[in-house]
Amino acid sequence: MTSRSHPIWLLALCILLAAALPSSAQAGSTRLLETESFAQVRIRYAHKPLIVHIWGLTCGPCLEELPRWGELEKQHPDMNLVLIQADDAPVDAVGAALDHAGLGRVESWSVPSELDEFARARIDPSWSGEMPRTLLISADGSVTTVRGVADIAVITRWLASSDAGAKPVLRLHNH
Amino acid sequence: MFARAQTEPAPMHHQQAEPNSCKETGLGCATAVTPAFDAHNNLWLAWVAGGAVSVAHSTDLGHTFKDVTLIGSYGALMDSGADAKPQLAIDAQGHAVLAYGVFKDKAYNAQVFISTSASIWAKDGPAFTVPRSLSEDSASQRFPTLAFNSNGRLFATWLDKRTVALARQNGQTQTGAALAYAWSDDAGKTFAPDTIAQDNTCECCRVALAFDSKRRPVIVYRSIFPGHERDHAILRFGEADRTLPAQRVAEDHWVIDGCPHHGPSVAVTADGTVHAAWFTEGTARQGLFYARSTDHSQQFSAPKAIGNIAQRPGRPNLLTVGETIWLAWKEFDGKRILIKEQHSMDAGLHWSIERIIGETQHAADHPVLIVHGRQAYLSWMTHDEGYQLIKLQTP
Repeated sequence: MTSRSHPIWLLALCILLAAALPSSAQAGSTRLLETESFAQVRIRYAHKPLIVHIWGLTCGPCLEELPRWGELEKQHPDMNLVLIQADDAPVDAVGAALDHAGLGRVESWSVPSELDEFARARIDPSWSGEMPRTLLISADGSVTTVRGVADIAVITRWLASSDAGAKPVLRLHNH
Repeated sequence: MFARAQTEPAPMHHQQAEPNSCKETGLGCATAVTPAFDAHNNLWLAWVAGGAVSVAHSTDLGHTFKDVTLIGSYGALMDSGADAKPQLAIDAQGHAVLAYGVFKDKAYNAQVFISTSASIWAKDGPAFTVPRSLSEDSASQRFPTLAFNSNGRLFATWLDKRTVALARQNGQTQTGAALAYAWSDDAGKTFAPDTIAQDNTCECCRVALAFDSKRRPVIVYRSIFPGHERDHAILRFGEADRTLPAQRVAEDHWVIDGCPHHGPSVAVTADGTVHAAWFTEGTARQGLFYARSTDHSQQFSAPKAIGNIAQRPGRPNLLTVGETIWLAWKEFDGKRILIKEQHSMDAGLHWSIERIIGETQHAADHPVLIVHGRQAYLSWMTHDEGYQLIKLQTP
């Protein structure tokens, strides 16, 4: 039932194969978030607006919110959305929850084990571990954080605003 | 679903493993460890590792452990969330009770299991019972906390979704979970019927428990106040095991429709002062805070900020030894996880300056303070150093 019982080399092989695929093929299957994964996501979306939505399978408010992100994705199929499932939970269960929420085709990551302080800081140094959490990352690298369930109207306004896209500058990790 | 309790003879000592690859059930892979001393100076540990709960004991203050007993194995269904910890309580007669949460379905509803030992000093070993459900209710129970009071009565409290499920059946939405409790007068063999104390509590934060001078429970928990404010409340008991109205500990105004995964700590000193420590990101204050109450929790002192806010202090743990109160917490400086302490010899009026009592460069469990005799210790599990019982000296 869980990838946790797989031999570690098989896991490593899967990650290597997944990393070798072009980004268009990365959507639709949840991958394990390894040490460098999030930095690579940020590099891939450098100078582009990006929404990172952090959620957890055991987090009730997160599960209630998820279908609203599915709706938003339907209305804005071109937005850059990356999902991170941050509970210690099986990857297949993550995929099932995303399919159910209409997010089956969105780029999705899941943590291989409960995040410690080091792993959390790699995603967001100001994150104390609460969920859900949404990072609205502008093209200039500045980050607006939405804590708890997001007001989708706020997200929609952000997508439409100049905050999301304009004036690209070379700043990737401005928190 | 779970294995019968079994005994492995191999002793262990400070096992290590690689991050994220640690799937064994031994103490070396433990992510959450809970200590308890028995009346014969043995240190018992309950831990979660590799999707299982195990118990062992040490006769040399935590240097080595023996008679490792696997209590239950659940794989991915084990609740190994950031704020979950197995519970272990031992009374003066050597009765032991273990409790922990396990997910039971694809909706991540959970169940609290308990396992008991009629005598941890028995010649043939403690013989922990096959785990059974603490509650007969079928909804969802998580985050158990339990302890014996000084009369030997066992009190268990947990977060319970039965009233949320009932509301949903009636077409209504009820946020969070309920705070539930039950007493046992036979060391966990049987429990009096469950009682729901309070609806609208945060469903994802551990619950803190202590006893007052009348041996009544004192519970501090993250409540949900109107407007999604997930601030802390205290629940106390009056005559005949009846609850008194809950009081708010502080107006932090942390408005969040979400899971903080960060519960509080509570302790009561011999003079009756109630001490609370908690984490918040409210509009009124952000960080780790401490407050005390000398009037039966009607009013708490102004929250006092704890630790270095730049290093995200959190995961508080309070311990009383007579009128001395200890507070330990966790910080992260970007390279190291630190455990710090402050203590007060006058029931929280004046505090020592903060001091680092533990540090590590990889993953670490939250701090737990424990007393043996009149000596306070930090009980701490780290990936690099393994299990440590660190003696706390007052300068």
